[in-house]
Amino acid sequence: MTDHTGEPPFSRTVADAARAVAGRAPESPRSPADRARRIGRKILLAVPLLALVIWTLAPFLVTISVSLKERAEVFAEPGLIPSSPSFEAYGEVLSSNSFTSSLMNSLIVGIGTTVLTIVIGVPAAYAFARFNFRGRHLLLLFTLLPRLVPSLGLMVPIYRLAIALGALDNRLTLIVVYTGMLLPLAVWLMVGFFQQIPREIEEAANVDGANLWGRLRYIVAPLAAPAMITIGVLAFREAWNEFTLVLVLTSSPGNRTLPFELYLMQGIEGIANFPGEAAFTLLTVLPFVLVYTRVEKYVVAGLISGSGK
Amino acid sequence: MGALSYCRNDFRANRLTAATETRPKGAGRGARWWQRKPTRLDSTYFVVGQSKATPYLFSLPSIILVSAVLGFPVLYGVWQSLFRRETLAAPLEYIGFQNYADMFSSDAFWHSLNRTAVFVFGSLILGTVLGLFFAFALFRVVGRLRFLRALTVAPYIISNVAAAVMFRILFNSQFGMLNQVIEFFGVDGPSWLADPGLAMVVVIFTQVWTDLPLTILLLLGGLMTVDKSYLDASLVDGATGWKRARHVTIPLLAPQILISTVWLSYSTLTGLGVVLALTGGGPLKATQTMAMEMYTVAFRNLEFNQALAIATFILVLNAVLTVGYVAIGRRYEYEQ
Repeated sequence: MTDHTGEPPFSRTVADAARAVAGRAPESPRSPADRARRIGRKILLAVPLLALVIWTLAPFLVTISVSLKERAEVFAEPGLIPSSPSFEAYGEVLSSNSFTSSLMNSLIVGIGTTVLTIVIGVPAAYAFARFNFRGRHLLLLFTLLPRLVPSLGLMVPIYRLAIALGALDNRLTLIVVYTGMLLPLAVWLMVGFFQQIPREIEEAANVDGANLWGRLRYIVAPLAAPAMITIGVLAFREAWNEFTLVLVLTSSPGNRTLPFELYLMQGIEGIANFPGEAAFTLLTVLPFVLVYTRVEKYVVAGLISGSGK
Repeated sequence: MGALSYCRNDFRANRLTAATETRPKGAGRGARWWQRKPTRLDSTYFVVGQSKATPYLFSLPSIILVSAVLGFPVLYGVWQSLFRRETLAAPLEYIGFQNYADMFSSDAFWHSLNRTAVFVFGSLILGTVLGLFFAFALFRVVGRLRFLRALTVAPYIISNVAAAVMFRILFNSQFGMLNQVIEFFGVDGPSWLADPGLAMVVVIFTQVWTDLPLTILLLLGGLMTVDKSYLDASLVDGATGWKRARHVTIPLLAPQILISTVWLSYSTLTGLGVVLALTGGGPLKATQTMAMEMYTVAFRNLEFNQALAIATFILVLNAVLTVGYVAIGRRYEYEQ
């Protein structure tokens, strides 16, 4: 992808040509008027960017601010920067049973979903990308299904089916459901990626005596690693953040994930424990932020290709 | 060691396809791997060393899982919306479209449809305007400021519940940052989440906040692929700034705006997490969208079959709206 360095040279010449047509002299790049305009443009550029930063970060900042206060302090000193920051709320959350057990569950469900999505999704994508077989047209259905079937439409049917199968309140059920919901996107992304890997590489390996497994293991998998990271991250995100299905599929405290526990926290506390909620929220967000900063470009790539087509 | 084991497998796999493939001389069963000539490569079926079953074995698990988790439950749900239980212990009985008739004759449903319309179109307008604004801003960003693009995605990695908590703190009437800013100008800030009119505003802002990263990235991607020559041509014609954006760039972005519209609409129409965690449909049912209504009917009133009728209606409405957006979007696309 090319960088867009302000006005590219070509546009500059076109702008000069436009001025010439209008009967004005082309501007020399160092003239004071040009410098003033450049500063003006910088300011014009800075305002929307500042708005973007405020828009994105304001909710985080106020939450961090509240999490560092004590309960009474939240109301008494509403300023953004706490006068005497304390980590009491974090200690409270970290030592609470509801947080530790739901963190454990979120990790189990998240990792389970990630692994299952890759194990099931990658071979399927390879088949769709490389083989000509009856049933390839199912790929189209794969891409359409999640557009037609929101998790809202699944809530009641999956709840009823889980009751019928005795699979309610079970981490494995969550893993299977999340994987099923993520697979269309994962397969779609991987198919696109596999199609970009030149066949010639595999043909060459084939000539050298590598069979299907050998090609997958030593040629396709290393080349497709970025795409696998992408779908892994997307699968983990889904499991980590999903709220409405875990709400209906889970009941006992031992099986709840973090969003469910956070949701309950708002209701249980008689007098709202704002620092506690804020600390819980940030601790929920933190692990994924750590993952995210390492794999940001993959997430962005996945986001764009997943929604656009 | 690795290479040898491939060839053993290769040999075995070739035997599986022996009946269907004509093999070149020297590729016979008895030939050792170093004597064998490579099989002819076909462009669509080039992968040798596999059986015909391979693609099916590879794709079957995911097809089964997706059908079981996405396909079957929806069909089951639509089918079950034709049934009803009089009491929780009573047996299911087939009642045709009675659930739908009841739905269309209930005031709660029409109220929720009204709330949904406000929610969906409010989010669409706010999301598209902000998305375009921020995408244009980010498009010009280069160099050290590149990290801003990464920052933009931050709301996407947050769960709906976490976003709801954050916005409840931000919009709190007593200590929320927003009301402090308003009070700075000498006006008393309203109690956002307790006011039926304003609660919807908060819900829309929260929903748009969580959905905006995708919109921005989509539009940004569109801006990057816009043909520069159109922009240069418009410059020659004297179009600059807002004029150029309004008459040249935004029409060129029509496909991306269409996609982001479809996606935003889908996300808000079927979105339950934000509303449930932020207001739970209140105050005074002011934010009782159809998704909330479905949840209430199912898991508070325990009328599951009635709720399935609402869910089916939402699915159909989503499909109809999508077709509508595409039809409108077609009209605004440039003819190439």
